[in-house]
Amino acid sequence: MPTRTILAASGLVLAAVIAGAPFVLNEGILRLATECLLLLTMAQMWNLLAGYAGLVSLGHQVFIAFGAYALFLTSGWLEVTPIWVLPVAPVVAAVVAAIIAVPLFRLREAYFSIAMWVFAEIIGAFTMKSQAVGGTSGLPLPTSKLIDFDWFEPTMFWLAGALTLGTIAALYKLMISSFGLGLMSVRDNDLAAMSVGVDVRHNRFVAFVLSAAGCGLAGALSFMGNLYIAPLAAFDVNWSVYMMFIVIIGGIGTLEGPILGVIIFFGLRELMTGPLGLSGGWYLVGLGVIAVIVMMVAPRGIWPALRDRLGIRLLDVQRTSPRPAVVLPSASQQIAG
Amino acid sequence: MIWVETLINGALLGGLYALLGIGLALVFGVMRVVNIAHGEFMVLSAFCAVLLANLCPSVPPLLMLIPVIALSFAVGWIYQAVIVNRVIKSPDPLAPLLLTFGVSVILRNVMVEVFGADVRSLQVGELSRASLEIAGLNIGIMPLLTLVLAALLFMALQLILRHTEFGRIVRATADRRDIVRLSGVKPDRVYNYVMGLSLALGAIGGVLLAVRSSFTPFSGAERLLIAFEVVVLGGLGSFWGALLGGIALGMAQLIGLKIDPNAGLLYAHLLFFIMLLIRPSGLVSSKG
Amino acid sequence: MALLDVTGLQIFYGDLQAVFDMNFTVGNGEAVALVGANGAGKSTFLKALVGLNEERSGTVHFDGIDISRMPAEEVSRLGLIMVPEGRLLFDSLTVEENLLMGTVNRRSGSWTLRRVFDLLPILQERRRMVPGQLSGGQQQMAAIGRALMSNPRLLLCDEISLGLAPVVVEQIYRSFADIRGEGTAVVLVEQDVKRALAACERVYCLLKGRVSLTGPAREMQPEQLTHAYFGN
Repeated sequence: MPTRTILAASGLVLAAVIAGAPFVLNEGILRLATECLLLLTMAQMWNLLAGYAGLVSLGHQVFIAFGAYALFLTSGWLEVTPIWVLPVAPVVAAVVAAIIAVPLFRLREAYFSIAMWVFAEIIGAFTMKSQAVGGTSGLPLPTSKLIDFDWFEPTMFWLAGALTLGTIAALYKLMISSFGLGLMSVRDNDLAAMSVGVDVRHNRFVAFVLSAAGCGLAGALSFMGNLYIAPLAAFDVNWSVYMMFIVIIGGIGTLEGPILGVIIFFGLRELMTGPLGLSGGWYLVGLGVIAVIVMMVAPRGIWPALRDRLGIRLLDVQRTSPRPAVVLPSASQQIAG
Repeated sequence: MIWVETLINGALLGGLYALLGIGLALVFGVMRVVNIAHGEFMVLSAFCAVLLANLCPSVPPLLMLIPVIALSFAVGWIYQAVIVNRVIKSPDPLAPLLLTFGVSVILRNVMVEVFGADVRSLQVGELSRASLEIAGLNIGIMPLLTLVLAALLFMALQLILRHTEFGRIVRATADRRDIVRLSGVKPDRVYNYVMGLSLALGAIGGVLLAVRSSFTPFSGAERLLIAFEVVVLGGLGSFWGALLGGIALGMAQLIGLKIDPNAGLLYAHLLFFIMLLIRPSGLVSSKG
Repeated sequence: MALLDVTGLQIFYGDLQAVFDMNFTVGNGEAVALVGANGAGKSTFLKALVGLNEERSGTVHFDGIDISRMPAEEVSRLGLIMVPEGRLLFDSLTVEENLLMGTVNRRSGSWTLRRVFDLLPILQERRRMVPGQLSGGQQQMAAIGRALMSNPRLLLCDEISLGLAPVVVEQIYRSFADIRGEGTAVVLVEQDVKRALAACERVYCLLKGRVSLTGPAREMQPEQLTHAYFGN
């Protein structure tokens, strides 16, 4: 059976599972699942930028916040159910990204990363000062009375599920297109890519804007689920921490990596804060330690190391090994041993 | 008159900010790594100073700088040897960035769990309130001492880097990591010392900032951003540039606070961002 | 016993093998030329000798000591010193500081700053300048001077005449007389085969990572060498 058929079939099965899940699962688990799916989408978006376009953003929370605030404010002005104004969120985030890209794209590597962070801090500070958007105390969702609460959790879950599946399918399509190939060649070697006519700047720009739009939409859904938004939560640098850890642990520059990363992320959280009774701080310490160890022993993440060892290929869009294969064999041995 | 005083106080605060930046600049200059955990290490050194000061109440708190500097040097050496050197040779320029970011998250949350999230500061008693009156202007002794100390440290660092064999080796390693090995230099060892020195300088900044204003385990991010802005504004590789960058940020912050007491670091960040917009060539060329 | 004795050396670049089963000796005070076309593996071989390329197998003995697995920073102390291809000076150090880098971990010996300046007077004139202010030939002299400061027993020179004017090359080759006067052995990697043959006692020719010809420099027949060089 050709890979595409298998992928399409498993996509359909997953869609059916997501459609049916709310009728089986209780509300608590459903909420957790929604959170997982949204964070997975954000991580995929961060990975699109870091893993494929080679730009590490430490200020991606700003797009989550822009998307979420855009949803809350527009829904209030238009007085319509928030679901109908959801498209506003990615558009606003994308527009902001397109504008901010102009100065930021002059910077490379760590400069870009930290300048993004400073940008997020500036917008966060202005948000806290502006009474029009609720200042430090934030905003409740003004149109929450229009929501049908019997169906709220299932709807949120379906939206998150659709977003996740849509994102992965779109990224897969994108990566096997000529744009994706250009992007990956940029990641692997700037100069070489430019010399074969890949428009590096343009590809980076598109990845940045798409990544912002995806985070904006996922952020809007996330805060819509809370029915409340406050700047400290929206502009929390931990959004970037989560996205980064999920991608780093799972496997940077792969579509499967973030999926594995999200499973570890939530598995560890439920384990440490549940049965082990540890605080959220220790959970982040544990996650950080795992991420640092992964970076030292398997710099491309757990998934690529497993894939090379077991020979599994799922959503593999890599034609060739992008880096000298010196690191990986020993790394995967260390994981196994 | 009140504005002149604000500007002068901003300049004095700038000396402190320059101290925050210089350790970051040193590591970047020698090994092309932005140590994202620099801010957390500064906060950690401030916690150490507070702990030591509580343990020995009879000793003047500022003397705690000496053990804290020594400890920070050792921590930096070990941090580099055990963690950062592992990824520094990676062909992926993002690896050290991601790794040090991971370390910053670990440190921050360990500090939250161990020391609690309360607001702290290092009490130095009379000294923090003492001030001089010059031509009708009120100048704090502590900020003045800080600026003088920063200038002296910069001069010392300059002398070490320019005129000692250690400095020569450090600069040569920064130029060509592979070729120094032909002269019998182990780059990893040089990096260990440089990270030790960087965190020792950071400790001075971190402890003095803990005297001036309060801190929590979450203050590391703020300190990193200030340090980074100092380095970028000042242009890399130039210590006096860092001092100027620090002074500009210090002034921007205090003028901002005069206009809006809740501004925090907003105006310093804005200055940085505006400079990014109007002087990008300077920024890019300074990256080398 | 030979000063440098290489047996069965294999060198790799990732998945590629660059040098195959190489045997190579240099006697005390001897000058040996290593010639071959671009990409024959000459530079790779020199780098592997001093420990800059760690993907290698086979044995390398220097002065009776096994240096097959010794890292680059320890090799220099024994007096096995390389002048790397392309000069590769430290750009932010002055000429004098560049020379002093040769003293960091050196063997004891007779080379001093004074003697290097006597041998290459232009360096004294330019001692306070940084490499960017020097001509290519002066940079090459500084790179040789830096190596001499380490008191080499064997000096490995990688393409020292590349891109330099003939007059300057002439001058650099003349200084070898003084260097060898100290009993220093020399390995010259050269594109300019004639010059290499004239300066050396023995020659090795590399072809696609293998020794294709070796023998005394004086007895080399041109057609024999051409064949070994181009492999046709």
